[in-house]
Amino acid sequence: MPLGNFASLIHFLPELAVTATILLLVVVHVAGKNRQSAAPALLSLAGVGAALLLAALQPASAGRSLFEGMVALDGFAIFFKALTALATIVVIFMSMDSGELAGRSQAEYYIFLLSVLLGMFLLTASTDIVMLYLSLELVSIPSYLLAGYLKGRESSTEAAMKYVVYGATASGVMIYGFSLLYGLTGTTQIGEIGRALATGDAPLPVLLAAVMVTVGFGFKIAAVPFHMWSPDVYEGAPTPITAFLSVGPKAAGFAVLVRFFYTVFASPDVAAGVWKISSRVDWTLLFGVLSAVTMSVGNLVAVNQTNVKRLLAYSSIAHAGYMLMGFVLLTPAGLQAILFYLVVYLFMNLGAFYVVILVANGTRSENISDYSGLGSRAPFAAVSLAIFLFALTGIPPFSGFIGKVYLFAEVINRGVYWLAVVAALNSVVSLYYYARIVKVMFLEDPKDSTELPVPLFPRSVLCFLAIPTLLLGVYWEPVARVAANSVKLLAF
Amino acid sequence: MLTDFATVLVFMVLGAVTVALLLLVSRLVQPRDPTPVKLSTYECGEVPFGSSWVQFNIRFYVVALIFIIFDVEVALLYPWAVIFQRLGMVAFVEAFVFIVILLAGLAYLWKEGDLDWVRTMQDAPARKEGK
Amino acid sequence: MGLDKLLVISAALFCCGLYAILTRRNAVAVLMGVELVLNAANINFVAFSHYVSRVIGGQIFAVFVIVLAAAEAAVALAIFLRMYATTGTVEVDAADQLKG
Repeated sequence: MPLGNFASLIHFLPELAVTATILLLVVVHVAGKNRQSAAPALLSLAGVGAALLLAALQPASAGRSLFEGMVALDGFAIFFKALTALATIVVIFMSMDSGELAGRSQAEYYIFLLSVLLGMFLLTASTDIVMLYLSLELVSIPSYLLAGYLKGRESSTEAAMKYVVYGATASGVMIYGFSLLYGLTGTTQIGEIGRALATGDAPLPVLLAAVMVTVGFGFKIAAVPFHMWSPDVYEGAPTPITAFLSVGPKAAGFAVLVRFFYTVFASPDVAAGVWKISSRVDWTLLFGVLSAVTMSVGNLVAVNQTNVKRLLAYSSIAHAGYMLMGFVLLTPAGLQAILFYLVVYLFMNLGAFYVVILVANGTRSENISDYSGLGSRAPFAAVSLAIFLFALTGIPPFSGFIGKVYLFAEVINRGVYWLAVVAALNSVVSLYYYARIVKVMFLEDPKDSTELPVPLFPRSVLCFLAIPTLLLGVYWEPVARVAANSVKLLAF
Repeated sequence: MLTDFATVLVFMVLGAVTVALLLLVSRLVQPRDPTPVKLSTYECGEVPFGSSWVQFNIRFYVVALIFIIFDVEVALLYPWAVIFQRLGMVAFVEAFVFIVILLAGLAYLWKEGDLDWVRTMQDAPARKEGK
Repeated sequence: MGLDKLLVISAALFCCGLYAILTRRNAVAVLMGVELVLNAANINFVAFSHYVSRVIGGQIFAVFVIVLAAAEAAVALAIFLRMYATTGTVEVDAADQLKG
C-alpha cells in the first residue's frame, strides 16, 4: 500500500537533507560576501555526508512505496543512494583541489552538483514514469550547466552545447516512448504498465516504445550508438565534473535502466530465480549486441587517443558495455554483478581522474605525452594512477578483476559464450592503451624533470580511493553480499 | 475516421500543384535583366546599409529566461488552484513549500542584479569580482 | 475528433521535430525541433488521457512536460548565448574544437 505524502516524509530523509543543503547554499550565495570561500564546499560535504548516513540507516528489508506510488524505498534504491552520495563526496574533494575551478563562484557550482545528486536519488527510486522523467531531467539539466561551468573557455562552452543538444533530443524521444506506453496501458505506474503489457498483445508498438525509451536511458549510460556526446563533453567539462558524470549519472542510469526494464518488460519468476520476459522481444540478443558494440567501440577508439580525459571517456563507454553484460541475463546474479562492478568502478575511475586533476594542476596539460617520467616527478601520483589503470584493465589482484569475474561468470553460466569471448578480446585491447600510459609514466624520460608536489590532503584522498581498489581485489565478500542483498527489486 | 482526411489531402495537393504551376509560368515568361541595384534589398527606396541581423540587447534574453521560469510556476499552480478548496490545508502547505523554494531563486536573481533593467554603476565591479 | 486523428497529428509533429533536429545547423532551430517532439508527446498524453484511460495521469504528465521543456529551453538558450559570446556563432557545425 503506497504511503501518503506526509507519511512518506520520514522515509525521505536523505533527499530532504540534500534539498535543505541546496537551499542553504542559495542563502549562502545570496548573503555571503566572498564568493571564492570554501564555505559552500564544506557545507555541501556536510549535507551529502548526512544524506549518505541517513541513506545507510534506512531499513533495506522492508520495501515501501512512497508518495502515492511515485517513489520506492527498497534495497536497490538505498544501494544506489549510498553509491551516488559517496561519488559526490569524492567529487567535492576533487573540486576543492581542482585548479580549473579555483577563482570561480563556488556556491553555484555546488548547488548544481547537489541538484544532480538529488535527481539521482529520485531517479534510482522512481516507480512512476512522471517521476522518472522529472528526475532524469533533474540529473540532466544541472549537468549541462556543470559541463559549461568554465565560463570563457571555449571547449567547456562547446561541451555544454553538445551535451544540451544531444540530451534534449534523447529525452524528447524517450518521452514520446513513454507517451506510447501510457497509451497502451492507461497508467503511469511502471508496475501496472508491466502487468498490463504482460496480458496484452501488441508487439510492434511495445517494441517501438521500448526502443524510444532505450534512447533516453542509453544516452545517460553513454551506450553506443547514443554515446556521441560523451567524449566531447568529458574532454571539455571541468575534470571533477568529467569524473562525476562518468560515475554518478552513469550509475543512476543503470539503476533506472534495470528498474524500468525489469519491471515493465519482465516479471520475476520466483521458482526459477530469474526474470521472465513478458513481451516477445529477443532481449538477450538485443542488449547483448548493444553491450558488445558499446565495449568494442569504446575500447577500439580509446587506443588512438592522445588526451587522457578523452581516453578515459572512451574507456568509460567500454565499461558501460561490460556492465550491460549483467543486464542482458535477467538473473539476480547478473544484477549483483552490475552492482558490484559499479562499486569497484567508482573507486578506480574516480581515482584515475583525481590523478589527472593533480597532474593538470602542476603541468596545465592533459596530454599523455606530458605524463612522461611522472614516475620520477611525482612517484606517489604515478603509482596510484598505475594501480587505478590496472584495476580498470581487470588484471588480478586488483578489484577490477573481481568485478569482471562476476560479470563473465554469469554470462558463461547462462551460455551466452559469444558475448564472453567479445568481452575477453576487449579486455586485451584495453590492456594496450592503459599500459601505454603506465609505460609513458615509468619508462620514458621526463621532458621537464622538476618535481610535481602532491600535498598531504590529495595524498590522503588518493589513499582513500586506492585502498578499496586494492582491498576489493583480495577481500570482496562483504561488498558482494551487500550487492546481492540489494538486487531485490520492489515491483509495485 | 482517417478517410475524412482525403479532402484535406486533395486540397493540399491541389494547393501545392497550383503554386508550383504559377511559379513555373512566371519563370518562363518573365524577362530577366538583373543589375546590382535591382538585386539589392528593397527598403522603401532607401539604399540599405548594414546587416539586418542586428544585435538585440542581451538583457531581453535574460528577462525572457526569467519570465519562462515564473511562467511555468503558474502552469503548475493552475491544477492546484482548481482543487484547492477540496484538499484544504494539505494542499496549501505543499504549494507553500513549492513557492518558498522558488522564492530562493528569486532572491538569487535579485542579488545577482538580473532584475534591474538599468544596472547601477557600483554594481558592475562587484559582479565582475564575483565571477 | 477521434483518437486516431490525434495520433496521426502527433506522429507527424514528432517526425517534423526529428527532421528539424537532424537537418538544422543552427542550435536554436535544433532546440525548436526538440520542442516539437515534446509537444508531440504532449498531444499523445492528453489524447490518451481522454480516450483510453479515465484517470488523469496523462494530463499531469503533460503539465510536467511543459514545465520541463521551459526549464530545458531556459538552460539551453543560456548556453547558446554563452556560445555566441565566446565564438560568435551558434551553428552546430562550428562546434568542432573537440573531436577525435
